Amino acid sequence: MRASQINHALDFVREAITEASKWWWRFFDWVAVVEWRRLFLTWFLVLLFFGMLNTPEPAVWYIFISFAVKVLAGGKRKAELVARDATVQANVATLERRLMEARMAALQAQVEPHFLFNTLALIGQLIETDPPEAARVHAHLIDYLRATLPQMRARDGGTLGKQVELSRAYLAIMQARMKERLRVRFTVPMFLHSAPFPPMMLQTLIENSIKHGLEPKIEGGTVTVRAQVVDATLQVEVCDDGVGIDPHADDGVGLANIRERLQLLYGSQAELVIATPPGGGACATIRLPYKMMEDA
Amino acid sequence: MSPEQTFTALIADDEAPMRDLLRARLQAVWPELQIVAEAANGLQAVELGEQHKPDIAFLDIRMPGMSGIEAARQLYRHSQIVFATAYDQYALDAFQQGALDYLLKPVSAERLATTCARLRTRLEASRQPGPAAAAAPPQDIGQQLAQLTALLENKGKAAAEERPKNGYLRWIQAQVGASLRMVSTREVLFFQSDEKYTRVQTATSEFLIRKTLKELLDELDPDEFWRIHRSTLVRVDAIAEVSRDLRGRQMLRLKGHAGELEVSRNHSYLFQQM
Repeated sequence: MRASQINHALDFVREAITEASKWWWRFFDWVAVVEWRRLFLTWFLVLLFFGMLNTPEPAVWYIFISFAVKVLAGGKRKAELVARDATVQANVATLERRLMEARMAALQAQVEPHFLFNTLALIGQLIETDPPEAARVHAHLIDYLRATLPQMRARDGGTLGKQVELSRAYLAIMQARMKERLRVRFTVPMFLHSAPFPPMMLQTLIENSIKHGLEPKIEGGTVTVRAQVVDATLQVEVCDDGVGIDPHADDGVGLANIRERLQLLYGSQAELVIATPPGGGACATIRLPYKMMEDA
Repeated sequence: MSPEQTFTALIADDEAPMRDLLRARLQAVWPELQIVAEAANGLQAVELGEQHKPDIAFLDIRMPGMSGIEAARQLYRHSQIVFATAYDQYALDAFQQGALDYLLKPVSAERLATTCARLRTRLEASRQPGPAAAAAPPQDIGQQLAQLTALLENKGKAAAEERPKNGYLRWIQAQVGASLRMVSTREVLFFQSDEKYTRVQTATSEFLIRKTLKELLDELDPDEFWRIHRSTLVRVDAIAEVSRDLRGRQMLRLKGHAGELEVSRNHSYLFQQM
């Protein structure tokens, strides 16, 4: 009987202590982060209240304790809380990035139906008039789809060499369609083929060059792809001598997509630069940190 | 009706294989038709059309220089127009509403045969002396073409969700060395006037342009950029947070940029709590 009563009392005391300590730390946190202005205000109110009750001691204690907490622990505690918030925010940022990556994957997967229809129409026609050419275009189309369709695309292994291969397949198809209106020049040194490079960026730039630069131009022109390393930066450039960029034309999903993906992958170390050279046409350059090959 | 009557045609397509295909198909379904000219773009189509005055003009819609529809507006007086298109839902809708002839690429032999039979009947009827001119009066076709042009422009605009508002400035041109940097407005965080120049700030760099803030304000999309201060235009999407400093001024923090921008009192209404 007695023992259980003691146990009861102990439990109560333990609970009271936990509760009190919870409230104490809550008070502590509040004092640590509250503005001085507000703290002064509470001091004034507490003094007023206990002053009216004629028992100023609790008010004095309150002021003394909160002042001490604020001065001694305020800075540290505040930093801790800020750090905790930052961690939460960082987690949110990671989550956002994952979502973004998923969205990007969906975006980069798009094969233009117009392109597909035209290429199939071309193959159908060549089967009748020029079967060997039909076989070549057909093979290029398979290479292109293998690298473009998301279900087919390898998760990793995005090297500059792979991207160049894909772009060559695409350009070969476009040359079969545009004939002498499209000329292509690649200046990509062999040693750069193993350098990591994000998928579908080179492709987007080349498609833009053809669609907005060369297709609208009656006599067509040349697409030049150049890669080089400048000061530990890999610089991949797609230039055309087409009609240039209309300052009122929308920059489209493609470029915004590249910019966002570069930002996610490399932060401020990478950039996409669009320029119009004095001779006309347009140049798009991707710059990112150069690595010899994919990290293991 | 004399079966020896021959008719002439023009083919216009910017892609040579497509011209080859159409020529081969035409020879198969209508061997007597003489293809007198082939054009690789819209301007050439008009030029050759004026020169040869063919009975029929097969025009691809998407061509450099001048679209097939624009070319048709100059050619329809002498020639029956047949449009060809590969994949363009809007154009198809437009054609189905009107009475214009069109072919879907790649051109199938059956479809082409039907179209050719109709053209032939119409052309033969128009060559018959007498009142039975079955060809549509040219004014009518001209009107239809004008409507088609307008329809395609409008539908094209409505369709491109990414750019519902054309005409606004989308690229800022900044001289960097010999070439002109094209800075997309989506890259810009804010513009700030700096004596006689305007500073263009992106996440990674900064440019100076000669265009004044006032000029930019007139040319930029007002939903994309807001004026928050006499000397500052900010891209709305780049705003991360609005807070008040000790003096009660509203300050903007931007995504991807360390500094803060002040919102002047005149513009503080932009950031009222909902």
